Amino acid sequence: MLEINNVHKSFGKNQILKGVDLNVEKGDIIVILGPSGSGKTTLLRCINFLERAEEGTINFDEIHTSFKGASKQDISRIRKRTGFVFQNYNLFANKTALQNVTEGLIVGRKIPKDEAIRRGKQALDKVGLSDRYDYYPSQLSGGQQQRVGIARAIAAEPDVILFDEPTSALDPELVGEVLGVMKSLAKEGATMIVVTHEMGFAQDVANEVVFMDGGVIVEKGTPSELFSRPKDERTIQFLKRIIREDFDYSI
Amino acid sequence: MNLNLSFMAETFVHALTGIPTTLKITLVTMLISAPLGFFMALGRMKGNKGGGRLAALYVSFIRGTPVVLQILFMYSLLPSLLNYLFKSILHLNINIFRMDPIVYAYIVFSLNTTAILSEVFRSALMSVGHGQMEAALASGLSSSQAYRRIIIPQGLVVALPNICNTTINLLKSTSLAFMMTVKDIMAIAKMDAAYGYNYIEAYLVVLVIYIILCTLVQILFKVMEGSLSGYRRRITA
Ligand SMILES: Nc1ncnc2c1ncn2[C@@H]1O[C@H](COP(=O)(O)OP(=O)(O)O)[C@@H](O)[C@H]1O
Ligand SMILES: [Mg+2]
Repeated sequence: MLEINNVHKSFGKNQILKGVDLNVEKGDIIVILGPSGSGKTTLLRCINFLERAEEGTINFDEIHTSFKGASKQDISRIRKRTGFVFQNYNLFANKTALQNVTEGLIVGRKIPKDEAIRRGKQALDKVGLSDRYDYYPSQLSGGQQQRVGIARAIAAEPDVILFDEPTSALDPELVGEVLGVMKSLAKEGATMIVVTHEMGFAQDVANEVVFMDGGVIVEKGTPSELFSRPKDERTIQFLKRIIREDFDYSI
Repeated sequence: MNLNLSFMAETFVHALTGIPTTLKITLVTMLISAPLGFFMALGRMKGNKGGGRLAALYVSFIRGTPVVLQILFMYSLLPSLLNYLFKSILHLNINIFRMDPIVYAYIVFSLNTTAILSEVFRSALMSVGHGQMEAALASGLSSSQAYRRIIIPQGLVVALPNICNTTINLLKSTSLAFMMTVKDIMAIAKMDAAYGYNYIEAYLVVLVIYIILCTLVQILFKVMEGSLSGYRRRITA
């Protein structure tokens, strides 16, 4: 359904992505792991054209284009088929929870207001915020804000939802509520690409785990393959470190 | 020192008749400058290079010169310039020298206030985090929809306190309009004072009137701020 090939992206002289390929089928839950600075965020942002990659191609159903040559329409169509959940939520500060969700439906997609509000409420209900429709972001906890962020991303029923470390800005006791929502989305068959360090989540719901380091994909496989029999030394070191942190954290 | 109280009372009432002129200069200037300053700021933000440099030059010119000098300069220059424009270029038979001098006040103060407001709007728009634009794009909005619906509304709320300051500064500098023979509060009081040399009393009267006006403007903006920035209030649980 979504296939990206040979993505290269530099900031000035720093080459951040050095030829990344990714193939996503409908219903896939792909977890991307990797040390900080390895280019995970940049990869997601390139898929959504928040950054413009200078090399590589993207095939999204019937849309076939290079990143560099993508037209305005291509970009707009790709954005309308993807949802993006940001690390720091990025909720519209001047809009209520419900307006945050309906904005893209009404303004971006020209869905009639009544219908948009119905769908917006449905999305908020799904993330457990049926009692917070009219709250502004400043009146919500981090976990609630991120759940609004997820509702905003799913309301338009996108083909793929991109998550960039959705729980890493949250207080530990709020992580669970957001992961819970993501798990239930996965169960319903949503297609998701998730950058996260939550190993439990990867283990439980991912059908593919991708390990990135230094702007390339080092290794990928099913969670059990990657977690119990990692091949590359860099993967092994990374997993050791993460699992130790998880362990330290739990005691 | 004895204050001539009856003179003060008379001058107070008389100077009040200058309020409409003072407010008119302030209001017209704001109505001209706000949209101009706003679009200048927007243009500079969206990265029009040549225009941006020109705008920056204009802003630093205005900010680097005293208002009094701008008034004297324009008041000496404008009439002959306009006269030349109307007579020799547009071939209109308008006698510039009989035009209401308040027009010069509009022009000078607008040139000044536009520059100041463009900076106010620019810094306010830039204060809205980049994440807001990205979230809007990711939600399927175009960048101009994002500006209209997300960035600008938030920027205006941020700008409001500085727009209030600008308005008050403008209101106060309109007292210099007497230099262009405009009959505002200041001009009326000065003329009354000249008659019996009661300058102290006259200035006291003007002072009181300006304090009242500025306070009213501040209250007005506070009310606006309160009603526009509701989304920033935090309900602490
Ligand atoms: N807009 C940018 N300008 C310059 N450098 C950037 C920019 N965005 C990211 N980078 C750099 O790219 C590298 C990878 O960043 P990122 O994709 O955020 O990594 P990750 O999400 O894996 O931690 C980092 O070294 C970062 O400093
Ligand atoms: Mg990142």
